[in-house]
Amino acid sequence: MTAEYSAVPRIGIAPARLAGNAVLAAPHLRRLRPVILPLLMAAVVLLVWQFVVTVLRIPAVILPPPVEIGHELWRAFPVLLHHAVPTTLDSLMAFFLASALGVGLAIAITYSPFLRDMLYPNLIVFQLIPKVALAPLFVVWLGIGSESRVVFAAFVSFFPVVISTAVGFANVEASALRLCRSLTASEWQCFAMVRFPFALPAIFSGMKIAMTMAVIGVIIGEFISAQAGLGFYILYASSRMETAVIFAALFVLCVIGVALFGAVALAEELVRRSYGRR
Amino acid sequence: MPVVEHERYVEVAEVSKVYRSGTPEAVEAVSSVSFILPRGQFVAVLGPSGCGKSTLLMMLGGLESVTAGHIAIGGEPMIGPRTSIGIMFQDATLLPWKSALDNVLFPIRVLKRPLDAYRDGARQLLERVGLDGFIYKKPHELSGGMRQRVAICRALVYDPELLLMDEPFSALDAITRDEMNELLLDLWQQYTKTALFVTHSIREAVFLADRVLVMTRRPATIVEDLTVPFARPRPMAIGESREFNEICGHLRERIEESHRPNGRRPETSVGRRELVG
Repeated sequence: MTAEYSAVPRIGIAPARLAGNAVLAAPHLRRLRPVILPLLMAAVVLLVWQFVVTVLRIPAVILPPPVEIGHELWRAFPVLLHHAVPTTLDSLMAFFLASALGVGLAIAITYSPFLRDMLYPNLIVFQLIPKVALAPLFVVWLGIGSESRVVFAAFVSFFPVVISTAVGFANVEASALRLCRSLTASEWQCFAMVRFPFALPAIFSGMKIAMTMAVIGVIIGEFISAQAGLGFYILYASSRMETAVIFAALFVLCVIGVALFGAVALAEELVRRSYGRR
Repeated sequence: MPVVEHERYVEVAEVSKVYRSGTPEAVEAVSSVSFILPRGQFVAVLGPSGCGKSTLLMMLGGLESVTAGHIAIGGEPMIGPRTSIGIMFQDATLLPWKSALDNVLFPIRVLKRPLDAYRDGARQLLERVGLDGFIYKKPHELSGGMRQRVAICRALVYDPELLLMDEPFSALDAITRDEMNELLLDLWQQYTKTALFVTHSIREAVFLADRVLVMTRRPATIVEDLTVPFARPRPMAIGESREFNEICGHLRERIEESHRPNGRRPETSVGRRELVG
């Protein structure tokens, strides 16, 4: 099997097309391809952006060129960092709250048919409510402090965890549970040794969604009421027509989001590996 | 294998199983089945798909409740799963995140026995079934036959007195299946005391068992109790002998007979092809 051919099924490009990709087909570069290709794509977009803004003379207030955003990012970095801290901490707190409650409720739903019949349909209906519209209510209930933002963000990100975890628990291979029972395993052993590890991919996929939702929830909370945080800073910058600052803040937000998501993905890898070892 | 004829190790008396009992859709899966197994026997329960033989096996393993009648194993009535019984299911049911060795040791973990005491035994079992080079492989890296071999080791690792097998090789191809049958006989002679093997393959039943119980669909009960005369160890070649084929022919007739009065010829002929496989 040639090196080129082996790459075909994974990326789904016909061999003939791949030949045109000669630079990236070199063996040592091909391994870096998943990194290089998206970076290249981003660089091209930034270049086109810079070019279009300059050539068409678009005012910086409407769309600042990437170079100016970069400059702003450099200049305002200490301030941005200062505002990034509460946003990150609130998001993490909301995420942990949502994950704990979500997994807990999913366990309750899995083991109590009564709770499942009572709660599950309501959860699905609740999913359909545009929860963002409820944000002001949380301010009314919990004030303008960080609690209202954390609880709101947890509320938003909690649903994907419950649904995904409950589905994961329900989809455990029936035969594996039967094997467990045949070995006189206790209910707890069945859960800890079979049901939970089987559901791990589903739990983590719910938690990954929850992580991104938590950041969204916190930003919305900061839009409504806050004295600090990137959401607050974006609103503040927009009131002063500092568009480049908004973009710089968005960039920081993006980095935070990627880091938090990456942390959950890493946690998943570690947990699943630890199960594999046992 | 010495068999004490009078010992009632497994006692099944007038056992019935009715699903959705008391409703209009009630289904009688097992209908008044009785038999006695002495310790040390390898018994095959032979019947077409859907005749309730798997349900019978699950009741013996304590995984299904009995609607009527009673089951006793080792003199004690079955009320739930027991650690003196090992079960092999239709699929290997390996835990995908565990290596072959850890899958074999899974029962030890559940039973909270000391792992160190069983690790060598588990390794030996895996070597015995020809998986020396695969003990640290995960199930997705193993073939179907290899996975079923791991499942055999897992059923034997805690040294059960009774091994219950629910068509364990039905998902395998014919060649692998023959290999597995030979392997199973080999292992059984060394490790287990009593075995009950459910199958829909006549040849498999005759090759493996000391005794074949034939179960039919309507009624879902045992219609024949046949002793297989071949000595052990049995080479694969006995499948070619005239006596072997006569026994198979007789068993096939018994199964078809019981289907004839229903007047459903097409279904019977389908059932036959299935049985020959």
